[in-house]
Amino acid sequence: MSFEVPIGPQHPIHVEPLMLRLKVEGELIIDVDVDVSYIHRGIEKGLEVRTYLQGLYLAERICGICNCAHSLCYCLNVEQLLGKEVPPRANYLRIIVEELSRIHSHLLWIGHYFHTLGFETLFMYFWRDRERIMDMIELITGNRVITSYNVIGGVRRDITPEIESKLRKTIEYVRERMNYYDKVIDSEPSLLGRLQGVGVLKPADAISLGTVGPHLRASGIKHDVRLDDPYSGHDEVPFNVVTYDTCDCYARVKVRMGEVLESLNMISYALDNLPSGDYRLKIPPFFKAPEGESLSRVEAPRGELVHYSISNGGMNPYRYKVRTPTLANLLSVAVMLKSKGDYEVYIADVPAILGGIDPCICCTARVIITDEVKKKRRVTTLTELERYAREREVRKS
Amino acid sequence: MIWKILEALIFPGAVFILTVSLFYEWIDRKLYARLQNRVGPHLAGPFGLFQPAADFIKLLSKEDIIPAAADRFLFTLTPILAPTLILLGCMFLPVAGLNGIVSFNGDLIVIIALMSFCTITIYLAGEGSNNRFASIGATRAALQLIGYEIPLTLALLCAAISTGSLSLRGIVEAQMANGTWLIAGPQLIGFAIFVVASQAEMERIPFDIPEAEQEIVAGWSVEYTGRRLGLFRLTKDLELFLLSGLGATLFLGGPLGPLIPGLEPLLHTIYFLAKSILVLIVFTLVRTVFARLRIDQMISFSWKYLMPLAIFLVIITEVIA
Amino acid sequence: MKVPGYFLAEALRNLFKKRATILYPYREVDKIHLPEGFRGKIEFDRSKCIGCQLCFRVCPAKAIKMIEDEKGKRPVFFIYRCIYCGQCAEVCPTKAITLGKAFENIALRKEDLEVR
Repeated sequence: MSFEVPIGPQHPIHVEPLMLRLKVEGELIIDVDVDVSYIHRGIEKGLEVRTYLQGLYLAERICGICNCAHSLCYCLNVEQLLGKEVPPRANYLRIIVEELSRIHSHLLWIGHYFHTLGFETLFMYFWRDRERIMDMIELITGNRVITSYNVIGGVRRDITPEIESKLRKTIEYVRERMNYYDKVIDSEPSLLGRLQGVGVLKPADAISLGTVGPHLRASGIKHDVRLDDPYSGHDEVPFNVVTYDTCDCYARVKVRMGEVLESLNMISYALDNLPSGDYRLKIPPFFKAPEGESLSRVEAPRGELVHYSISNGGMNPYRYKVRTPTLANLLSVAVMLKSKGDYEVYIADVPAILGGIDPCICCTARVIITDEVKKKRRVTTLTELERYAREREVRKS
Repeated sequence: MIWKILEALIFPGAVFILTVSLFYEWIDRKLYARLQNRVGPHLAGPFGLFQPAADFIKLLSKEDIIPAAADRFLFTLTPILAPTLILLGCMFLPVAGLNGIVSFNGDLIVIIALMSFCTITIYLAGEGSNNRFASIGATRAALQLIGYEIPLTLALLCAAISTGSLSLRGIVEAQMANGTWLIAGPQLIGFAIFVVASQAEMERIPFDIPEAEQEIVAGWSVEYTGRRLGLFRLTKDLELFLLSGLGATLFLGGPLGPLIPGLEPLLHTIYFLAKSILVLIVFTLVRTVFARLRIDQMISFSWKYLMPLAIFLVIITEVIA
Repeated sequence: MKVPGYFLAEALRNLFKKRATILYPYREVDKIHLPEGFRGKIEFDRSKCIGCQLCFRVCPAKAIKMIEDEKGKRPVFFIYRCIYCGQCAEVCPTKAITLGKAFENIALRKEDLEVR
């Protein structure tokens, strides 16, 4: 006998509304249906009616945790439209803050992940140590979470020697802690039992489902925008792409642990080789972007983030499109959650598997049209969306 | 007669047990928080001592909802039954002397039976609330019972075998006669099994599977609100007292210790509480350092490791005794 | 190497360490150190303002309104709409706007959250 268990839209494992309809037989999950249509915020439309400068602050708020990646992606996009190059010092400062926010995101994720697995103590410790990174972000940018650090044409503030020495101390502290936690994760059997062999995603599946970021790297595929398509001076700062080929939740934790260490090294390197000079281009608050389109990609903490914009020569973008990494990764959740042959998934594994992709739902929502009269729900298909977009284009012109 | 009633109601009976079990919850929470580098309860009373009581009173005053789909009879019965069963079990503990409030030959078996009844009550509570998460949680609670109950019973029985008595009084007296506590000897293994199995009985990490918040919201207790939830929370506290008291009695000599004539009941109480707090600290440490297991892992753990160990212990105890 | 309870030593060591929490809203309020350059509540210096409206036009949250007073045009800031981005302070030609360190911006009346 099978019955349906709704995980969501409100459920303790996700902070944000996401619906997983699980079809279970006892504890075994036999089918799953993912629904992401609970939190549409209209941000893309909002970006179209704001000037480029105001849009920056909206783009930054697409996601709270990876705000730095979003603002960086937006800035790169607009700079590309304007045909401007930021000074080298700005690039390095951007890398420092980007990597700091990656560390903070990964620590938050690992801590929260252990919380979902019931390891409360390690959760507290991770979040305690993350607080050091938050303090550093606050020191450099002026706010703990929403950094507002990247601006069109560079960064907003410079780093003083005092901040630099504090930052170096923090890096050493976090590095030492990370090395210790690495040992804890590898030696605690109750934790390993929940991680190893859970949520296996084969490399071939990972590619065909279009997963990105640490989730893809945990399937053993070496893919990182920072390496493949370096932006913002990432080609000058050396780093290793961390991959694991066990393809399970254990690999996902280890990849992120490794990435925290890599990010720490990158910050050290950037601090050592910080170029002198200007950290910001003078760009007036109001400007018209030349006609054209531009696409920018950034390796956000959760994976590849894509911003695409079309300009028709006005004060604001004509069309702005954001592809967040969670949308790319959610498809694989549906596959990982289905029991198939030897591969068995239990209800207890749902937090581990869903948590494994580091879901950030609020930047992901897509439309489902609900017909109140007919009591029917239907998902807008790609062709429909395309037709709608074309019709609108005709209407506008 | 009147003394007997007062004993059952006030000291060392219901009022005393309830107060102490709330205090034990405070110790558990505070220690857990300090191990995690947090503050823990700190607002109600000095060092937050009254926090568990405040939580309980708050729950009593909250709205009481019976879901339309729930079984009204079970929904009303189980929250009353569960704390009653455990409170009854606590009455057997030799707190203020070698005797409990009720004491007879075979009371150890009664305590074990009461704890199993409590788990069955929890199963009924989950199934009676007619919710998907609750029934998954209830099923898990029943499954878990299969896993831990036999090792727990065997561990407790080993203490009985090695002292040759099935009553708590007899076990304590045997420890007094020997001059050593049971934990010093092969029963150390029994104590370890007892700690692990109690953790499952109390549904605490790593065995908080039936109410795993992140998986099935709150498991069997998901539909309970207000005073019903408060009573279930109280059941947890009472279980904490019962099991740490049981551990102290069986393995640490219970109320035994150097006595001053005239002050026996007081000293007995102090020794008993101190020893059971030691057991409680062990419980809290276990809860601190593990992640939650999956139900299948829990069952296979207890049948692969806990059961053989318990049977091995029985053999050893038989040989020695 | 699998060691059950590997974490115990570290947990016990932390038992005797100072807690990481600050009892913020109840006690220890003075333990919160805000760094230099923290972006808090807007502070406005009327004497420096020249009424150029740049802050009003640039604000992404529409938290600024221009009004007339005896000395001419000037902005009013609605903190309940402010997103603390600091763009107005950055764009102000006379540095009449600065972001202060007040971050507990809670009030029972809307008027209390206006900077005039």
